Amino acid sequence: MESIVFGIGITALTGALATVAGAAEDTESNIGSQGDPNSQVQLAPQMGYLHRIFNKAIAGEPPAYGLWCALGAGLAWAFMAMQINAVLAIVLGCILAVFVQGVYSTTAYLGRTASLKKFGQPVFVDILKSMTTVTMAHAFVAIFCTVTLCYLMNAALGHPFPLPLLGLLWGIALGAAGSAVGNPYYGKERQYQNQKFGAGVPIAQSGNIVRYAEAGERNSLDNGFFTAKLGGPASGVCFGLIVFLELWRTILFEKIGAGWGAIIVGVLIILIFAIIDRYIEVWARKTYGPYTVPTKEVSS
Amino acid sequence: MSAVAAKPAAGSAMNPTAMVVGVVLLLIILAICWQIAPGLGLMALIGMVVGGVLIGFGTHFVPVGGAPAAMGQAPGIATGVAMLAAGAGLAGLFGGAWAADQGTVVAVVTGAVGGGLMMAITCMMVNFIYVFGMGIPAASGKVKVDPITGDTQPEFKSQGTEGHGLPFVSFVGGVIGGILGGGGGTLIYLMLLDVYKATLPTMMKATEAQIMPVAISAAGIFAVGMFLVNAVLTAYNITGTIEGPHDPKFKRWPRAIVASAVASALCGLVAILIVAM
Amino acid sequence: MTVKIEVIAGGIPHTNIMVGGIIASLVCLYLSYLNVVTNTEMFSFFGGLAVVAAIIWGSNTIKVLCSYGIGTGVPSAGMIAFGSGVIGMLLATKFGIAAPIVALVLAAVIGLILGYLSNEVLNMKIPAMVQSLTELAVVGAFTLMGFAVLMTGGFTFAALTAGSVTFLGMSLPSYQVSFIGGSLIATAFMLGALAIQHPFNACLGPGWTQDRMLMLAAECGFLSMFVAAVMSFALITTGSALISLIVALVGWGYTYIQYIGLSKRDAASWLDTKPIPEVEGQ
Repeated sequence: MESIVFGIGITALTGALATVAGAAEDTESNIGSQGDPNSQVQLAPQMGYLHRIFNKAIAGEPPAYGLWCALGAGLAWAFMAMQINAVLAIVLGCILAVFVQGVYSTTAYLGRTASLKKFGQPVFVDILKSMTTVTMAHAFVAIFCTVTLCYLMNAALGHPFPLPLLGLLWGIALGAAGSAVGNPYYGKERQYQNQKFGAGVPIAQSGNIVRYAEAGERNSLDNGFFTAKLGGPASGVCFGLIVFLELWRTILFEKIGAGWGAIIVGVLIILIFAIIDRYIEVWARKTYGPYTVPTKEVSS
Repeated sequence: MSAVAAKPAAGSAMNPTAMVVGVVLLLIILAICWQIAPGLGLMALIGMVVGGVLIGFGTHFVPVGGAPAAMGQAPGIATGVAMLAAGAGLAGLFGGAWAADQGTVVAVVTGAVGGGLMMAITCMMVNFIYVFGMGIPAASGKVKVDPITGDTQPEFKSQGTEGHGLPFVSFVGGVIGGILGGGGGTLIYLMLLDVYKATLPTMMKATEAQIMPVAISAAGIFAVGMFLVNAVLTAYNITGTIEGPHDPKFKRWPRAIVASAVASALCGLVAILIVAM
Repeated sequence: MTVKIEVIAGGIPHTNIMVGGIIASLVCLYLSYLNVVTNTEMFSFFGGLAVVAAIIWGSNTIKVLCSYGIGTGVPSAGMIAFGSGVIGMLLATKFGIAAPIVALVLAAVIGLILGYLSNEVLNMKIPAMVQSLTELAVVGAFTLMGFAVLMTGGFTFAALTAGSVTFLGMSLPSYQVSFIGGSLIATAFMLGALAIQHPFNACLGPGWTQDRMLMLAAECGFLSMFVAAVMSFALITTGSALISLIVALVGWGYTYIQYIGLSKRDAASWLDTKPIPEVEGQ
């Protein structure tokens, strides 16, 4: 009984850490403009729309976060093998991982922008100087939370995988969840804020991202507060639910039915989420209604 | 400006000679394994082939829209297909590895449910963002009527786009993809773990408890490696984006089965040779 | 609309880079064998140099492959390279001193078969696919072997699984504190997978120049070597790890500054706190 209570306590803690990690990950990838929406940042100068957005082209979020978290975890593991205290080891490991992330960000921005010479897109050194440290800060929060939850899974809950392998696993899952949920919000809502709300971006408008916005010329720092309104917390809740429910059903139910208890609970949870998803879909169809032909031509 | 040497688009055409060569390669690899490591080794290799095929086939179900999905121009999830499938499958592998000492069947099913759970949560939150954050209902661009729910699609597709969000058939596809991927990855891991647990103690002259970290780690990294190889091969097969099981591109799955089987057999054979030679 | 990828002619031919990469990696891996000869771990840093050579070669291979518009994007090529490379490399470590050569042959066979599957069974029909996937598998194997040497001092299976843990001042052998047992191979896997695709991915665009990409490849290699050297402090003697660390930092500093200089040379303009320039026809 005591071990179940301990297990549930750790599960709650990892769920909370995962939620923070997911929110920070999405905010970081939107401030740096990484992943699929970044194709628009790359495309805009080619269509004649020069901008001051940070073009952080480091693969997609899943492999990138797989690397930062595996690196943070690997360094933390190495420090712990050198008999350094666990908390200090994790902090030091994440600091070095964030340093690597910062270097990758600067080289990505310089590389992509220098290759757009033909279209006249300048390299803005002040963007480089101001944005890099901000994305590093958010990345540190995400990486630290993920490495800590991996450490808790290994040390407190007794998962057989060593720390670096857990870091790789959950880093990729974090990137996948944060990217899936957060990318459309950044791509459509923020980059194309000037398009009509409630419809996808018409293909003819590709590249026409917002460059002049609330306070003068938009730069990527402006995307931080916007993400924190909905995209960030939603990504956080997504990843937090994934981690929490996976651990919760295992800790509580795996002893029941020789392992089949956890499986049945998992299937039930999947069905519940299917029902919720169906409800959301039907609600949207009823409340928003179908698209009607506009009475007069709408020009962008 | 198009890519160099305009190649014929990788359509749904199947190359019969190549499929036959693939099957022959598979049989050759199985025969080599039967010669060198019959019994446990051959069972493990067959298990790994099945696991790899599950991963390859399952990845076809996952709805991926790529860059256009991030702008509400195409249905699906706005991430790369290989990495989204890897994320779900690895989350499943996490659960499956934990249940490893409860028997192979329980562990594989646990891994499958873990992968499916991750996809279910992710797909639900994707729809949540589309509906409440962007005001866009889900609509498919490839079919007129959702095969599962019967909802009509075209009038909910905004002008100038190919569709957006995750219609219910895509949601179900995503969950199935997660289930198959998680199960396949866990199967590969368990097969390798069994082989290593049985052979490493003699090879390294130590007790089973002592070599467990090496066995678990090696099996784990092999599972990750084979997972990525199979997922990328599937990504090549569907050329990047797919709406789900209702997409016409889904009909290309036989090619991926053969490719995944041969690739998994080859990688599995090499993994077994580490302890068999 | 997606990012347009175009082929630019000129620069060092790919065959030269490939041959140079193979020779440089093999030489560096074998130079690290001096560790066994002199019974120290001082020459582990050669493993890091092998990583740099392999990544420079691999980045050009990815450029050749992705110029044909494979439809999925650049990072997946890095993933399949390392997925196949790790499997070949681990089997090769069983062959003692012949491990690097065996890794070359074995990874090439795996890559060849994967290339055949992609081109014929999956009907991708890309001219450079088979050769590129073969090369990428070898690059993956060499990079991982280089990391293994850097972190443990050797490239045999015994070296990769040996380790010790200090308990009450005594050193006890433990498989858990080793390259494979502690799963540092997972970290090396991701380090390499991102380092190999980043140079081409980051320099993508109409203004791509080869020397800038190769300099970025060297920078990524030295950066990976730096963090791997930090991790090696846990597995090899402090002095040897310090040598690797210094070599990596010096190499990284030089290549990073060179890369910034090349970017400045290639960019349309290098502005500091200026508004968006006006473009006619906006």
